[in-house]
Amino acid sequence: MPHVLISRKKCTGCHMCELACSAWHEGAYEPTLARLRVTVNPTTGEIKGQTCMQTACHKCQDVCPHDAIYTKDGVLYVDETKCNACADIPEGPLCVAACPYDVIHIHPRTNKAFKCDLCGDGEPQCVAFCQNPHVLAVTLKADRADTVTA
Amino acid sequence: MALEQEGAVDFYAGKVLRIDLSRKTTEVEPLNMDWVKQYIGGKGLLLRYLWDEVKPRLDPWSPDNPMLFVTGPFAGTNVSTASRLVVGAKSPVTGIYDDSYVGGSFAPEMKFAGYDILIVTGEASEPTVVCIKDDVVEFRPAQQYWGMHTSQIEAALREDFDPDCKVISIGPAGEHELPWACLSTDQYHKAGRGGHGCLMGHKKLKAIAVRGTGRVEVGDARAFLADMRRMHSEYILTDDNLWANEEGTPILVQLMSDAGVIPTRNWSQGSFDGVQGINSEAFQKVRVRNRACYQCAIGCRQFHEVGDVRGEGPEYETIALCGANCGVGDIGALMKFNQLCDELGMDTISSGSVVGLAMDLTEKGIHDFGLHFGDIEGYLKAPELIASRTGIGADLALGARGLAAKYGHPELAMEVKNLELPGYDPRGAFGMSLAYSTSDRGGCHMRTYPIGDEVLSGNMPADSMEKKPWMVIFGDVANGFIGQNFSSIKFSLILCDFWAVTPEQIAQLLRHAWKREFSEDEVRQIGERIWNLGRLFNLREGVEPDTLPRKLVEEPFKEGPSAGKVIGWDEFQRYQQEYYKLRGWDEKGVPSEAKLAELGVDVRL
Repeated sequence: MPHVLISRKKCTGCHMCELACSAWHEGAYEPTLARLRVTVNPTTGEIKGQTCMQTACHKCQDVCPHDAIYTKDGVLYVDETKCNACADIPEGPLCVAACPYDVIHIHPRTNKAFKCDLCGDGEPQCVAFCQNPHVLAVTLKADRADTVTA
Repeated sequence: MALEQEGAVDFYAGKVLRIDLSRKTTEVEPLNMDWVKQYIGGKGLLLRYLWDEVKPRLDPWSPDNPMLFVTGPFAGTNVSTASRLVVGAKSPVTGIYDDSYVGGSFAPEMKFAGYDILIVTGEASEPTVVCIKDDVVEFRPAQQYWGMHTSQIEAALREDFDPDCKVISIGPAGEHELPWACLSTDQYHKAGRGGHGCLMGHKKLKAIAVRGTGRVEVGDARAFLADMRRMHSEYILTDDNLWANEEGTPILVQLMSDAGVIPTRNWSQGSFDGVQGINSEAFQKVRVRNRACYQCAIGCRQFHEVGDVRGEGPEYETIALCGANCGVGDIGALMKFNQLCDELGMDTISSGSVVGLAMDLTEKGIHDFGLHFGDIEGYLKAPELIASRTGIGADLALGARGLAAKYGHPELAMEVKNLELPGYDPRGAFGMSLAYSTSDRGGCHMRTYPIGDEVLSGNMPADSMEKKPWMVIFGDVANGFIGQNFSSIKFSLILCDFWAVTPEQIAQLLRHAWKREFSEDEVRQIGERIWNLGRLFNLREGVEPDTLPRKLVEEPFKEGPSAGKVIGWDEFQRYQQEYYKLRGWDEKGVPSEAKLAELGVDVRL
């Protein structure tokens, strides 16, 4: 089951991953719309990384009342034709509330849920931009190819 | 799309936010794109705005003296090290402009909020914080924050304003208008030099907090990402730069001591006998983690922990001035002193210089401040006393020049243009003489770094002035060292010194921003244009003569690796004149009309 993980010990808090993620998906640098999140306390140096665990978690999929979240090769995707941002649900979007990592949200422009899709077929940009050989904090756990053949 | 309609180009937000503290009003105006084309961003744009914003010969204490916070075009993108902010004003300390650079995450957050530049004018009638969330700007009373340390004010604003805001603030030192009070952001990152904290305290502005939820456009983002990945692997994550991640600036401590150029016991020695206690090996033993500025793949910030002191730093300059220069080789005491300066919001170069001077005055029997070289007890009490101007702190807060003059020994103050000198003694690295005397903001090592070739690479003899005027001006990384023109363009993008960038690599970045060809020659010319504009500003405001403390020119060390080496006035003056000539300036350092026209500088005295 492929998913991105951030090592809180190794991470330097440079936010390159959030920047690259937003540029890849949004066509401009807009880190508030990044599909992963790094939180830094500058005083203590404590760092917390939040990423989607994909099918290892699937809480968003479980609660979606519109079956708008589907699985393919171990990755969870949003079906935008089905998602209506829970417009008909009084409590608001259930996936957003259910996510333990705060990494699924309603997009301000499309008004659909959006989340990490491992950047489609290529290498996730967050992993690609954690390039410092001494850091390598953002990693892809389990190869997609392995999952497909498994 | 909206940006294009407003005439902005990619990478820039296209907006300037004016904040008037006296009237509590704000105004947004378009970024001057003509100036952007001539001066890029950062330092260049700061100087061009200052030229118009500062009325000639303005009293720096006047409410009209603006504080400018200027970003570079690449802040908020994947361009490594480009998150730096420059803070600029007419300095109340030096009387000329001061451009002080700081990393962290404030500049990108400004861009995401939609601003390239903040211009703060006026004076608040009571302590104030300015809170910016995108296009909403609030003036909040700050009585409850006044007196807070830098870590406290940042935490308070994350609590009271926005959990994700970035803060630039002053500590108690700024509130008491200490001449070397600095600005802090992400707590450990300081716009350290030139008294910007003093100015901000004078304006009763405790902090600016900014939260941005917008975007930075770059054109074809996926193509840009691909090129940044290439630049990272080819130019940035290389051995030339990764030393900063592996060891950081403490690596310089032993090297500079061995070369005989580390200021020791108020610049009376060039090697420190206690260096083993505070060199890179010592710091590696207490290192707990690495941190990076926003959008920096290198990550040079080191967290250390000794006893109850945990935090980022200290960096080389702090170790040199607050360690060796005060005769302190105790790593725990040095880290405590550094932490006090960080929390109180005071520059460590000036702090170490002034405390070392007070120790010297005491030991020479001139005046007893109760401070002695290597004596930890008095040393650790000094920062609080200075920041609050109480006890001996009232005298020490005069700064090196003021303190030495008050006790009748001006020759003991190690400053240029009233800015205390950083951690390199020119007696063992002659090029640093010109670096200091011709620096555009007084005693500073960041405009040109000949010592890189004199000591670090050994490519140039340390005790000869041959070729030095040329290298101080024109050197760039392609040639092996950094000159003033090159640092001017580098600080306009604004890239960090820890990326050993070349003119060609800068041209590659500017091609992304401007969607046109950019040659290395053009990069160099813009750098020279910016340096000349800065000189004109300083001449207009009445800059002091370009010179050095007498001791550094006349009195050689008696022992150590630099023993017997001294430049002497004849040699110094001859080479300074050579420097002026190479620059196309007259014998008093005034740029010629021909030079200004050649460079396309668009203002005149």
